[in-house]
Amino acid sequence: MNLIETPLMHTLSRALDLTSTQQRLVSQNIANIDTPGYRSQGIDFRQELQRALAEEGGPETAPLVREVPGLIERPDGNNVSLDHESLLMAQNQLAFQVDVQLLRAEFNRLQQAINGGSGQ
Amino acid sequence: MNLFELFQVSGSALAAERLRAEVATSNLANSETTRTAEGGPYRRQMVVFNSRPASQFRLLLAGSLGGEGGLQAAGGVQVSQVVDDPTPPQRRYEPGHPDADASGYVDYPAISPVQEMVDLMGAERAYELNASAVQAAKQMIQQSLQILK
Repeated sequence: MNLIETPLMHTLSRALDLTSTQQRLVSQNIANIDTPGYRSQGIDFRQELQRALAEEGGPETAPLVREVPGLIERPDGNNVSLDHESLLMAQNQLAFQVDVQLLRAEFNRLQQAINGGSGQ
Repeated sequence: MNLFELFQVSGSALAAERLRAEVATSNLANSETTRTAEGGPYRRQMVVFNSRPASQFRLLLAGSLGGEGGLQAAGGVQVSQVVDDPTPPQRRYEPGHPDADASGYVDYPAISPVQEMVDLMGAERAYELNASAVQAAKQMIQQSLQILK
């Protein structure tokens, strides 16, 4: 067992990677909110995280980017939903924050173990 | 994964929306202009947006590193062209006007102030939305620096 990289750290770093990928797609969708014919792009977070964790030593391939299903298309062929994107953006920001805080806490615990439990 | 890419994506949209607002404002300002450098009345301008593929450099770099390429690189938006509205000018009967034709009619640009205001508001809201996306990216980068502390 690797003492420095705990399983939690591994999971969290994959989750952070995916969250930033998702945030990038949200930015891209928001940027193209007035582009005729543009289709909203997204990833299946849960599925991608499972796949990334299943692979030993990090994911081999990039997450699968696909069109977001179930959005209403406007007459110009664009289907970016403002509500969907802003909600996802808020959710992403919070998820990122949670992951960072958990990662910090894990590092602190490790530090504590190194110091023999005598604080940091 | 590079969070700094988000700035380029949102930044391209900020520039495009700003241009759209500028064009709408110019249309409003010239709604009564009967003389232009090209001759005839001012013609209403429209912007055409298209989604910008990721920069060639980034794609090649990603490809040569043998990793993420293609869809992975972020794409923003760009104004591909500014076109003239083909709507024919509005004719108004003003015999005293210096630009009146033989029958006393003057050609005015076919611009509806309401339509331009709506376009301006749309551009403004889209600008705001992209500005908050920049804010979100900034916050995420600042948070990831916290891991170091």
